[in-house]
Amino acid sequence: MMVPKKITNTLLGILLIALITGCSKNDPVKEDTPELVTKATLTFSSVGGGASIVVSATDPDGDGVQDIVVDGPINLMANTTYGLTIELINGLVAVGQPGYSITSEVEEEGTEHQFFFSWANSTFANPEGDGNLDNGSDPVNYQGGTNSLDTNGLNLGLTTIWTTTSTLASGNFRIVLKHQPGAKTATSDASVGETDLDLTFILNVQ
Amino acid sequence: MRIRTCIFWLLLLSPGELLLAQEGCTQRLTGRVLSEAGSPLFNAEILIQSLAMGTVTDSLGNFAFNKVCAGTYVLEFRYVGYKTRMEKISTSERKLFIVAMTVESQALQEVVVQEKLDKVERTTNYAVLDGAKLNETAGKTLGESLTALPGVSTIQAGPGIFKPVIHGVHSQRVLILNHGIRQEGQQWGAEHAPEIDPFIASNIVVIKDASAIKYGTDALGGVIVVNPPPLPEKAGLGGSINSVIQSNGRSGTISGVLEGGIKNLDGFGWRLQGTGKRMGDFHAPDYSLTNTGIKEFDFSAAAGYHSEKLGAEIFFSHFQTELGILRGSAVNNLDDLVIAMEQEPPIGTTDFSYTINPPRQEVSHNLLKLNSHWAQANGEWHLQYGFQSNFRKEFDIRKSSLSNIPAIDLELRTHTVELEYETAGSKGRQFCFGLNGMYQDNRNVPGTQRIPFIPNYTTVSGGPFAVAKLTVQKWVIDLGARYDFRNYSVIGYDYKNALYTSDLAFHNVSASAGASRAIGKQQTIKLNVSSAWRPPHVAELYSLGTHQSAASVEYGLLLNDSTNEVMNINDVPFNVEQAVKTVATYQFAANRFQLEATAYSNMIFNYIYLQPRGVTQTVRGVYPYFRYTQTDALFLGMDISAAWTISPRFILSPKVSLLRAADVRNDDYLVFIPSNRFEIAVRYQAVKNNFYVEPRLKYVARQYRAPRVITVRQIQDAVDNGTDPLGGSTDNFDFMAAPDGYVLAGVAAGISVPSGSGRFDFRLALENALNTSYREYTNRLRYYADDMGANVSFSLKYTF
Repeated sequence: MMVPKKITNTLLGILLIALITGCSKNDPVKEDTPELVTKATLTFSSVGGGASIVVSATDPDGDGVQDIVVDGPINLMANTTYGLTIELINGLVAVGQPGYSITSEVEEEGTEHQFFFSWANSTFANPEGDGNLDNGSDPVNYQGGTNSLDTNGLNLGLTTIWTTTSTLASGNFRIVLKHQPGAKTATSDASVGETDLDLTFILNVQ
Repeated sequence: MRIRTCIFWLLLLSPGELLLAQEGCTQRLTGRVLSEAGSPLFNAEILIQSLAMGTVTDSLGNFAFNKVCAGTYVLEFRYVGYKTRMEKISTSERKLFIVAMTVESQALQEVVVQEKLDKVERTTNYAVLDGAKLNETAGKTLGESLTALPGVSTIQAGPGIFKPVIHGVHSQRVLILNHGIRQEGQQWGAEHAPEIDPFIASNIVVIKDASAIKYGTDALGGVIVVNPPPLPEKAGLGGSINSVIQSNGRSGTISGVLEGGIKNLDGFGWRLQGTGKRMGDFHAPDYSLTNTGIKEFDFSAAAGYHSEKLGAEIFFSHFQTELGILRGSAVNNLDDLVIAMEQEPPIGTTDFSYTINPPRQEVSHNLLKLNSHWAQANGEWHLQYGFQSNFRKEFDIRKSSLSNIPAIDLELRTHTVELEYETAGSKGRQFCFGLNGMYQDNRNVPGTQRIPFIPNYTTVSGGPFAVAKLTVQKWVIDLGARYDFRNYSVIGYDYKNALYTSDLAFHNVSASAGASRAIGKQQTIKLNVSSAWRPPHVAELYSLGTHQSAASVEYGLLLNDSTNEVMNINDVPFNVEQAVKTVATYQFAANRFQLEATAYSNMIFNYIYLQPRGVTQTVRGVYPYFRYTQTDALFLGMDISAAWTISPRFILSPKVSLLRAADVRNDDYLVFIPSNRFEIAVRYQAVKNNFYVEPRLKYVARQYRAPRVITVRQIQDAVDNGTDPLGGSTDNFDFMAAPDGYVLAGVAAGISVPSGSGRFDFRLALENALNTSYREYTNRLRYYADDMGANVSFSLKYTF
């Protein structure tokens, strides 16, 4: 059976069109990744002066299988007041480029973000208790910096104030950043929204 | 050709008295026309040659000749794709006369037949959704519509997203042919439904074995064939308007068809079709399912010319949908997941709204198809070209500056070419040879501000095939074989946002053998054994990222276990998936009782699935992670359906689907395997008109063959205590136990009313009539919320 010429020609024509339209350049474009946090740094600065205590949690492979590496412990002096600032960066973006500092993004979108904290009872004289992660109305001092509150005057927590107890203490110190688009209110607690950050450090008062 | 024209004219004329009456006589001839499987055949043609009278069946398969003279007549029953039957019937007959039509073997001489059930071989196990049954699913998605068929279920991602599952397998392993073209969309995701408007079809055939050799690789579970009605070939205007309103979701759907031919140009026909759909938040019995609305708009246009020797058609369709995903299912880590699973009503539940917010999807699909056929003395050529473009955008809940930027933004363009030659040999032998080719380009649209979940790639695939149909004594035998290659050229960014490229090549053969024979006049047996293979999807090899609705990370098969680096496929023990599926079918069709029982076994070697591997800690918290892995999976099951006409007014139709699936290499269960389900319907239908009412009861058993349960809290405790949450085992697990079994009751009623040269079909249905709270194991939403509550739907179709 000979293939009729008409049909072979049509077929070849179609194949040709398919090949021409198909062989466009298909190189992907490298994406910025502003949501990726590869490093979170906590800086406790003594209000009365002295050396700051700096710890960080690093996850260089982002969504990869490697576990996060958490520094620590955080060793604070007893009976001392500290300002805590939190800095988040995306190490996949070059320093200074947009998207490198996630801190500034969280600050810009402060009205839909809030940090929540939990710690072992009697670690701090102020705030008292064990933090507001389990109960949103428990005390945390959202003070000490322009980024302690959002532009609506609600708690944000990029800077917070902590006074340690006079006795020795040791336990976990956990910080959780919640993203609460359209849901952040004066009473919205840590059960609202999606988690952008969830880190646990060891904290000692000595 | 003649048959179709005839039906077309009858459609226009019936049920006018002219053709149905003999002057002065008052007797009546009535009956029903059914398919072998017992489903009513709609628009089947019935002729009494001796009286030059004719009529067609209604949507329930009923026909009536009013006002004939007393006597016995020979009735000729014709239905496209089925064998013509002659039956004697007497006006004195008191019982309802029922005719079961058998499918015609694929006759090469009859173009008509091919257009109807082209995709089905005699020895194949298949089920058809058409006529009244298809009408009854109006307003539903393709996947949901198909659950009316035994052996077909769905994987769901909420009340609006249904993926069809055939005998327990789905997604890449089920091939969908839309208008004869392989549907090419992003089917790798559990929440990616097929991009097809079911209103486009006049029948949907589900082939439940792997015998569809003509359509290439991948059909390990089966094939879904969406067939349009044939184009008109004579002048005149026809069409229909279908509208559906539903209480649950407060939805409205409208769909219309207009078709015709051109005067003095016989053989030329055209059709325009369109559908619009708007659904708001669905409702569980106790709360609203916030953000589950749907917006859909589809249209298609077709034109064609057919003569005895030549035919050509052009077809274009556009599908466009916007889907919301339950607000309460968006989570970022395990803590969020605990909260989302434990809160009821789900987090973020608000009052009813039509608004669709993130998480949501925007999907559109275009298909352009050109095909032609050319008949010669001893054979026929078919040539077909298809171009598809598929656009998928998925919006997660993200930082507000990103919430309007899709997290996934993919464009998939596919060209397919197919050339086929069919010829008939002596002694009823038939042969078909052909070639398929495909070129595909998948591209991530830049700007998602996230490392792409799947890389860019181009695919070149194709292969030749040969199919033969023989008759050996009483047996009809189908044989088929094909060879395929598939080459991928992949270029993407890895976990650290560094570029990688890979070139992959796969090739293999598929084969199928089937036999069927009739035993006496009432029974048929079929046996089909087929071997099909499937090249891996790029998503299974390279995917990397988190699913916002699952709080889990997925890694492709070619990502290194500990470093995440992309590996060369030659450095890993990889083999393509290969299935051996055996299907045995028994059919019994007497006048009042039809039964079809199917037993199957599907052994899939090197079955690719997501295996739980452990937990990884990121700055966002703890995630379980899954890696695509291979094993051997065995699916064993049985489908039984029957229709028993108890009296002319009552038909009882039970349906049973049984399935057990296991990972035989690891002696484990697989996740998301549909549980056993049982359904029974009793249909009352009036004899005088075609009013019907049909109560229906469906029982879905609990899935006892489900993997172990490791709750999120157990994982968290293990992480806190420094122990392995998975207990050192890579056995499958689920965050939640399989939900209890459930019973759903429903009732539907309808009537057809002739009006002038047209017809109105009214249908009122109540689903989940008792407003039962339940969760379906194969619905991903079961982690967060109950399934849909009661739903009243009303549909009105006008055909002219």
